[in-house]
Amino acid sequence: MAFINLQNVTYKYPLTKTPVLQNINLQVNEGEFIAVVGPNGAGKSTLCYTLAGFVPHFFKGEISGSVEVAGRESSKSTLDEWVRNVGLAFQNPFNQISGAKYTVFEEIAFGLENNGVPREEIKPRVEEALSLTDISDLADRSPYSLSGGQQQRVALTSILVMRPKLLVLDEPTSQMDPIGTREVFGVVRKMAEGGMTVVMVEHKMEWIAQFADRVIALQDGKILLEGKPNELLTSDLLSENGFGISRYTSTAREAKKQGLWKSEKLPVTLDEAAEGFKP
Amino acid sequence: MHERLSYYVKRDSALHRLNPLTKIILALSIVLVSIVSPWYWTAHILLLLVIVPLSFAGRVSREYFTSAIRLILPAAGFIFLMQAFFQPIGNTVIFKYLFLDVTQESLSFAFRISTRIAVMISAFTLFLLTTHPSELMSDLTRRGLPPQFAYVIISTLQILPQMQAKAQTIIAAQRSRGLDTESTFFKRAGSVVPLVGPLVFGSLVEVEERAIAIEARGFTSKSIKTSLHEIPDSLSDKIIRWVLILLVLLSIALKIWLS
Amino acid sequence: MKIEIRDLRFTYPTGLEALQGVSLVVEPGEQVAIVGQNGAGKTTLVRHFNGLLQAAAGSVLIGEWDPKKYSVAKLASRVGYVFQNPDEQLFSKDVGTEVKFGPRNLGYAKEKIDELVQRALSLTELSDKTETNPYDLSPTWRKMVALASVIAMDTPIVIFDEPTTGQDALNVARIAHVIAELRREGKTVITITHDIDFCAENFERVIAMSKGRILLDGPAREILGQEHILAQTYVDPPQLTRLGKKLGLKETVRNQVEFLEIYKNHRNK
Repeated sequence: MAFINLQNVTYKYPLTKTPVLQNINLQVNEGEFIAVVGPNGAGKSTLCYTLAGFVPHFFKGEISGSVEVAGRESSKSTLDEWVRNVGLAFQNPFNQISGAKYTVFEEIAFGLENNGVPREEIKPRVEEALSLTDISDLADRSPYSLSGGQQQRVALTSILVMRPKLLVLDEPTSQMDPIGTREVFGVVRKMAEGGMTVVMVEHKMEWIAQFADRVIALQDGKILLEGKPNELLTSDLLSENGFGISRYTSTAREAKKQGLWKSEKLPVTLDEAAEGFKP
Repeated sequence: MHERLSYYVKRDSALHRLNPLTKIILALSIVLVSIVSPWYWTAHILLLLVIVPLSFAGRVSREYFTSAIRLILPAAGFIFLMQAFFQPIGNTVIFKYLFLDVTQESLSFAFRISTRIAVMISAFTLFLLTTHPSELMSDLTRRGLPPQFAYVIISTLQILPQMQAKAQTIIAAQRSRGLDTESTFFKRAGSVVPLVGPLVFGSLVEVEERAIAIEARGFTSKSIKTSLHEIPDSLSDKIIRWVLILLVLLSIALKIWLS
Repeated sequence: MKIEIRDLRFTYPTGLEALQGVSLVVEPGEQVAIVGQNGAGKTTLVRHFNGLLQAAAGSVLIGEWDPKKYSVAKLASRVGYVFQNPDEQLFSKDVGTEVKFGPRNLGYAKEKIDELVQRALSLTELSDKTETNPYDLSPTWRKMVALASVIAMDTPIVIFDEPTTGQDALNVARIAHVIAELRREGKTVITITHDIDFCAENFERVIAMSKGRILLDGPAREILGQEHILAQTYVDPPQLTRLGKKLGLKETVRNQVEFLEIYKNHRNK
């Protein structure tokens, strides 16, 4: 039995004319790390909201098909039950700060307080989460005084500390520098290895190829392709449909036309490219 | 970038260590007594002999005096002028300005009212300066206030500095597009839409996203909430609260008895 | 229009020394990318160009103007500035009016305004959306509206603050096209960016900043290869530059064309 099971999910927001998700079927196993790619407007954020329960419980609108996570059906649960299993962090970090807390440490404790975690347990759990994402040095700062990239780390940590079974991340690194981005991918990979299931929307192909188990390519609310990162991310279909692709892939594709790339498979990461271009 | 988007100043003082509810009651009592007391000089005495010493006891006198100059003085001054000129009481005219008479009575009334305003703002400024917003929220929720309600209070306390920061960015963006915000009043009046429009729209998006973010972190969870910090609520807190309530009742009784 | 900065220093009221002696000259028509970690002082630096911030010490010259002596509204005729978040500037009921706002503030004649607006809209591929309310557009298109509304001001200098953040591949290509077009028209373009591949593909000159100082400044080809210095400010060299290094290519490569050419020569040796 799959951990996430979406069957024929179609969804329309209250004020839009056409469905944003159309007939989505998706099965994900426990502990799998799924990356979702696609152009803006493909329905990536809506898919995240659906997995996290906010579609339809928060946004209303019309949904059909079934959404199942950890053996429970979304339509038969309430939102507050649902978020106990599923954590969500999204793109704009500023709007994810609760506004009720004075320091980063307290901000991260917010979710644990809400869920009634005993005081003795809160402190060590926050400390552990802070060190996991490497922001222990920010603990006493005001969340508002941080840079966008740092705020994104705080948003991620605020969710990780709650130890959700399913972690849903919508472009969690958009404001981070390259080195910060790679670190976050590393942390997420580690969580997946510890048994957390992860669905992450991202544009950064190089790191997806290195860290994710499987990739879903969304377009116009439908799943266009689904597969192993290095197969899917090098597919001609992606570049033809305006998806972002790694420079290694596009360069090797061009090199192939000029007879400079011999291998059948195209590269996504630096190592793959270096291997293939080696004389 | 603002370092703190909240008025709270983290320090260790007797005032900081009081329970948040005690501090709310303290602020309210000061305000109530200054209003109902029949004696003319009550508000002035409260300001000098209670508020100012409290700001020292709370080790926030510097912050208090800054806000006194920036906010309290202008507000009280404005009320004073309005009342002195427009309060149609008394016959002892001290001076005339155009068709307006300033009488000894209106002057004395204005002095009393404006001091009350100063006391009111001061009491809540001291409360905000020394009360940790999330401790206030936890304490109120623990006492049975619905968390949504408590959250509205807390986030409203924080929203002003936040809006200010956002407004500054918007002003910078529009000035960069040639919007003249520095010249005449009429030009400035015309620049309201470009400044307020993005602020309002941004706030709408922000409210929706923030609702999602806190909901995702179990805000409406049915469990009994816990709190990271232990919130002090000692015997002396309870005593102080009862004494304050008694004092307020006493002033009300005095007022009724004398009238 | 030339930009000349000499020993510029700036400290925020919080005590943060955001700029600690920055000097640079940007010649008319240059395309400059500024990179560096969060908090390096990039935004603080460019906000001195149009007077949003004023030098605590040192000097700034925009053409022969000292920004201290002019209002931001006046400087807007020389320096256009596209902020990172379009939602912090859009307010009009339709795209056309929004784009007109800047040139109208600058007091151009009506015919000139119409011409500038048309050109900016077509450059940003918004011509078919003139009547649309900006808030009915997706965030990516709102970004293009923000771009158009500054380009329409026809300033000799244009600043972009993180233009590609949150944009998909299609829109990044559109933004690159806008920058190329501005270059063709001889405008100075200064862009703050985290996207080092975008930087490598669209800019001839790169400035790397760290902790309020300029770490590196020069032709992109020289700068992007210096991975150890760039690492000090948390910047990785572009993907193809790294690949070239790994393959032992002698020259630093920036983009696909350069890579393939240099790689060919390397292999044939």
